[in-house]
Amino acid sequence: MDKTVMAVIIGGAIVNYLIRVAPVVLAKGRKMPPFLATFLNIMPVAALGALIFPGIIESFPDKPSAGIIGVAVAALVSCFADGLVFPVVAAIAASWFTIRFF
Amino acid sequence: MNFFDGDFRRGAASAIPIFIGYFTASTAFGLLARGAGLSGWQSILFSATNLTGAAQFLAINLIASGAFPLEIVFSIFLINLRYFLMTASLLTKVRYKNSLEKYLTAFAVTDEVFSVAMVDGGNVNVRFMAGLQSTSWSGWVLGTVAGFFAGTFLSPALSAAMQVALFALFAALLVPEIKKYRLVAFLTALCAALLNTFFYYVLTFSAGWSLAIAMILASLAATIFLSRQNALKKSPVEREFCNHG
Repeated sequence: MDKTVMAVIIGGAIVNYLIRVAPVVLAKGRKMPPFLATFLNIMPVAALGALIFPGIIESFPDKPSAGIIGVAVAALVSCFADGLVFPVVAAIAASWFTIRFF
Repeated sequence: MNFFDGDFRRGAASAIPIFIGYFTASTAFGLLARGAGLSGWQSILFSATNLTGAAQFLAINLIASGAFPLEIVFSIFLINLRYFLMTASLLTKVRYKNSLEKYLTAFAVTDEVFSVAMVDGGNVNVRFMAGLQSTSWSGWVLGTVAGFFAGTFLSPALSAAMQVALFALFAALLVPEIKKYRLVAFLTALCAALLNTFFYYVLTFSAGWSLAIAMILASLAATIFLSRQNALKKSPVEREFCNHG
């Protein structure tokens, strides 16, 4: 048991670092082609879309509405307020309210 | 100016919502790890060195079910392949001065750190990254400590509601991008979300693969579209995306 746990922790740490550092090694001394640079520049937008759905439904198996309302409130608040703390806190409040009272 | 002023502080401040989300999520991890028979320091070491959400939860489940270490590490690898894309993407954005900075920041690339850094409108240099990543890392590690030793101290309704924190963060990061880049950004995000949903539910891919493939396909479609537009005429939106000076 103890050996398994340590093997997983150390193996996981190594694998995670290798994945994260590989692009640095591969890109070394090369100039990035424009197509690839555009691709990598737009990726955050795609990532954000995919990170929200369907994860938000999966995270609230008992009451998906609580998750969806939370995200909607965050999106709405961030239309009017700068910064990230306020939308996040408002979303938690909205989700809590939905879980508690509906 | 010393290292911890200015950009470092700005990075740390940007990480406050991540801290909130990580702390809550890793509280659950600490609890689960204890349940699976890990010791306190093993749980903390796990969070401190791996710094990854879903993969740690999965690893704990697999350890509890008696899977082989190699099998578990391979699952971690599959779930986290997307970090490869994220580090690559960060290379186009962060103003690195030398390779060492790249090797150091690579350690703490996560979905949230990546999203916040890429979307930030200011000077994203290694000090910004250090503030952002150390604050995020602290949230993940401290939450693990709290979960393992104190258990959950939130009411069931509140701890369930806190699950929305990281998704709310993603939404709050996405909205300004859509405001800035309009339809292109909206369609790219929507396309990625739909693809991910399709891969996950209909094709029953694992969560990690669904996410990575959806990201790649949606970005690829947007890139092809933008490159074609670019060849015809440059609108400000396309110029912005295709400008990597």
